[in-house]
Amino acid sequence: MSAVVQVDRLTKRYNGSLAVAGLELNVEQGEIFGLVGPNGAGKTTTLKMLATLLVPSAGDALIAGYSIRRQPDAVRQLIGYMPDTFGVYDDMRVWEYLDFFGRCYGLPAGRRRQMIGDLLELVDLANKREAYVQDLSRGMQQRLCLAHALVHDPQVLLLDEPASGLDPRARVELRELLRELRALGKTILISSHILPELEELCTSLAIIDHGRVLASGKVEDIHQAFRAGGVYLLRPIGEAGLMAAEALLAGLPEVASVARRPDGQLEIALRGDEEAAARLVAALVGDGVRVAAFAPAASDLEELFLQITDVEPSAVMPGVQEVAA
Amino acid sequence: MSALVSGVRRRGGAARRRLGGMGSAVSAVAAKELRGRMRGRRAFVVVTIYLLLLSAFAFGIYTYLKESAALGQATDPVFGIPRPGLPTFLGYGDAGLSASIGHALFSGLLMVETLLVLVLAPAFTSGAISMEREKQTLDLLVTTPLSTLGMVVGKLISALTYVFLLIIASIPLASLVFVFGGVGPEDLVRGYAVLFALAFGMGALGLLISALVRRTQTATVLTYVLVLALTIGSVGIHQFLVVVTQSRPTGNVIVAQQRHKSPEALLWLNPFVADLDLVCTTAPGSYHITCAYMSMVTGRPYFGSQFNSGMEGGVLIDHFNCPPGGRGCPAVAVMPIGGDIAVQPALTTSFGFPRDTFWPKSAAAFTVVGLLSTLLAAQLVAPTRRLRFRRPFRRAAVAPLVGATPTGSIEELAPGEGPPTEKATDES
Repeated sequence: MSAVVQVDRLTKRYNGSLAVAGLELNVEQGEIFGLVGPNGAGKTTTLKMLATLLVPSAGDALIAGYSIRRQPDAVRQLIGYMPDTFGVYDDMRVWEYLDFFGRCYGLPAGRRRQMIGDLLELVDLANKREAYVQDLSRGMQQRLCLAHALVHDPQVLLLDEPASGLDPRARVELRELLRELRALGKTILISSHILPELEELCTSLAIIDHGRVLASGKVEDIHQAFRAGGVYLLRPIGEAGLMAAEALLAGLPEVASVARRPDGQLEIALRGDEEAAARLVAALVGDGVRVAAFAPAASDLEELFLQITDVEPSAVMPGVQEVAA
Repeated sequence: MSALVSGVRRRGGAARRRLGGMGSAVSAVAAKELRGRMRGRRAFVVVTIYLLLLSAFAFGIYTYLKESAALGQATDPVFGIPRPGLPTFLGYGDAGLSASIGHALFSGLLMVETLLVLVLAPAFTSGAISMEREKQTLDLLVTTPLSTLGMVVGKLISALTYVFLLIIASIPLASLVFVFGGVGPEDLVRGYAVLFALAFGMGALGLLISALVRRTQTATVLTYVLVLALTIGSVGIHQFLVVVTQSRPTGNVIVAQQRHKSPEALLWLNPFVADLDLVCTTAPGSYHITCAYMSMVTGRPYFGSQFNSGMEGGVLIDHFNCPPGGRGCPAVAVMPIGGDIAVQPALTTSFGFPRDTFWPKSAAAFTVVGLLSTLLAAQLVAPTRRLRFRRPFRRAAVAPLVGATPTGSIEELAPGEGPPTEKATDES
């Protein structure tokens, strides 16, 4: 199966600082692919480069085989782009807005009329057809912007934080809408800094930070990779036990990080499966640390996301990064 | 043969598509902008107010001239200097007064409309692109396959359509000059040619600055600073150079002049100087202050009456020594009578200033500025092809299969640089 979006060592430098550093991604046909990362991770820059709004400093990306560098006009026909922040024109009605973009994509008048009806139906704005765009609520404008990206029936959708600023209900509606679009055969690339939001929606994920992919793959794979490890809470007895445990844990290869919590527990991020956890407990007990409690913390992707994006990119999870390659 | 035919047809089709693409870009953007601009009453209220002001102005000129004629002072309120007792209308009677009113109306309307176009054309365009940036709508527009040139031209057309509407709406009013005479239809056509060229040049200049500067406020201020520089600044510099490089007249030669080396081109982008050229050539009688100025600017001799001898800087020919039959000279050489020509006004009537010496250059200069600004603005708007002229994409030319191109080519490029050439990228 060939990838619809192939990102090859995409790099963007802004005045010497590296916003995107050799990013590599492959997005298959029909996927909903999530780009997750903290603010400033390079998500928006990546999407802007894919949308041909920025010229990469190095590297390239192919969208359905067309290079974003050499064939930006072809790429523009294939993508629908929704920026993270966007404005709307004043003095324009909803249908005129879509009609205008339809004309921009060179649709004939007859098709435009039909397209406007269909799209307004799809994004649930049919009753706002004659309303002025600037009078719409934030959520409606967001949906209208999504509709604008669909005007030319593109193969690939690039959505930059489409859910930001939406209330929970609007988020659910957006999710439904994206599922519908996926059912229509579109490949969707979506970015967010909120992992759970994407976790339910996406088929694949890439966690990026500092312009690099830290982990990527099918959502189940990432789940498994992370579930295998996880965060555990250890409560040794006494300050001495705490110190001894800390010293010991810092030297173990399975331990990604150790943090002391104010309640006297140690928070241990573990690599590996339950076997590793058992070995860890054995090592602790064998070393004479008196363990009062050892249990997995309520862990999910979110927490791991926080952990791995906190660490220097080079030091992180070599095992998982192979999924990306 | 059939291959050739189909090839030609295909190429023709591609060219048509490309032109069609450009056309659709222009029409899409222009239609959208115009829709916004003409929505509501504002656009029509502006036209009405504009016409009312112009009418009031024209009526003022007419009334003023009529009154001063009644008082026996032949006065051109725009450029003439009241010279009581001078024989400006001597021998013409009411016809002379009428022509003078026609000329004054023409001059006044031309100047006022020039001022309005100078103010309005950049006002409509200096926010056109920076506003899209500020409101964050530009990205949406640029990701469409619209050509940026088409976009920029569309915006320019929509802005200019409104300015042109204002200009055209004033034509019936300007035609009033024909009632009074003194100005021919060809003069009016010349005047409107200057106005249209000016609107285009200044509109495109505003658009360029709008594409250049991030913020609308800055763009607007910068545009008007430029407009001021073109009008007041250019005259100031020109006049300064005139004074600096001027040589004094050297006695009794045929062409007694005050030559200077101030370049005329400095004033090409000053619409008011172009107006002066038009006003001069329609001036009734032989003497007009505008002609003296134009004569000074262009260095062409002005065969005016003796009254201009007091003018600063004009090139004037001592017509006692004017060769008979020479351009602008009286058919018969004027003989000095009693050594003082001031008593012979009637002999100066056939003098004048040659037509079309300055304004066509001015109109051409505005057109060139407009074209260059438009092209440059289009380059500035395009995100991926900054300062790089490139043929539009043709779909047939690039059709690699999905995933067929091996990835792995990587080129180090400075940000903002264009994409690598085909040769450089294929070596992976």
